Amino acid sequence: MSDSPGFVEPNDIDLKEMVDQVWESYLDPDGSAPLLMTGAGPDRFDAQASVSITGSWHGHVVFACSVPAAKLAAATFLAIPPEEVTEDDLADTLGELANIVGGNVKSMLPTGCFVSLPHVLLAPGALSKWPGVVRVCDLVGEWQGEPVSVSMWQEKREG
Amino acid sequence: MKILIADDSRVMRQIVTRTLRQAGFGDHDLVEAADGRQAYEMVVNEHPDLVISDWNMPELTGVEVLQRLRATGDRVRFGFVTSECTPEMQEQAEAAGAEFFIVKPFTAERFGEVFAPILG
Repeated sequence: MSDSPGFVEPNDIDLKEMVDQVWESYLDPDGSAPLLMTGAGPDRFDAQASVSITGSWHGHVVFACSVPAAKLAAATFLAIPPEEVTEDDLADTLGELANIVGGNVKSMLPTGCFVSLPHVLLAPGALSKWPGVVRVCDLVGEWQGEPVSVSMWQEKREG
Repeated sequence: MKILIADDSRVMRQIVTRTLRQAGFGDHDLVEAADGRQAYEMVVNEHPDLVISDWNMPELTGVEVLQRLRATGDRVRFGFVTSECTPEMQEQAEAAGAEFFIVKPFTAERFGEVFAPILG
């Protein structure tokens, strides 16, 4: 927890509002393909992107999903058929999703935070770990029948 | 008018382009830069009328691009489309000479509000 007076750490409801805005603006503008919260999902994801936040708050925002979900997101972003999506498109889309959510998270954190450029991992069953961090927010759901997770992790750091 | 869209994400440049069209500004000449340094060089060499820039980019951040341009006397109309929005960033953008600050995710309506006075 930050020592900043009056600071209230973002919670699952805040994170959900941010994610809903992404869906309403880009992934489901007509409301026909919402992200449905399921509360439970796979332990590992084949496609992940994260941004790190440093400064007065240390942690990570992670967007993770299946490859088909990533492909659908990239196809929607680029307005092309899913079969035309390249690996670069997948990485770019996932990185931008992590960047948008991470940037919005930053606006709720104490002043003096910095958001990194995104890191993307496309690897079946890969498990990303940041030793010493704890999960502070976690959304798990399904989009068009595919698993999606958005989470926020805080690094406990002295000084 | 010539509009430069600067963002290191190709998908986001595509979304900005599409949203400009949806907001009724599709008839303008749109050019793209994939990082801050390229954005700076394209402003110097191609003289766009408007720059729509991401904040957090490799090579140079968006605000560094703007500060360098203003330091050389370039008065191109410039603003930000970024996922990060804090009061200190907005103050920094304004102090550097930015004309607008749009937060991602954005809508065509938001583009309309911001760009109608600029693009007509």
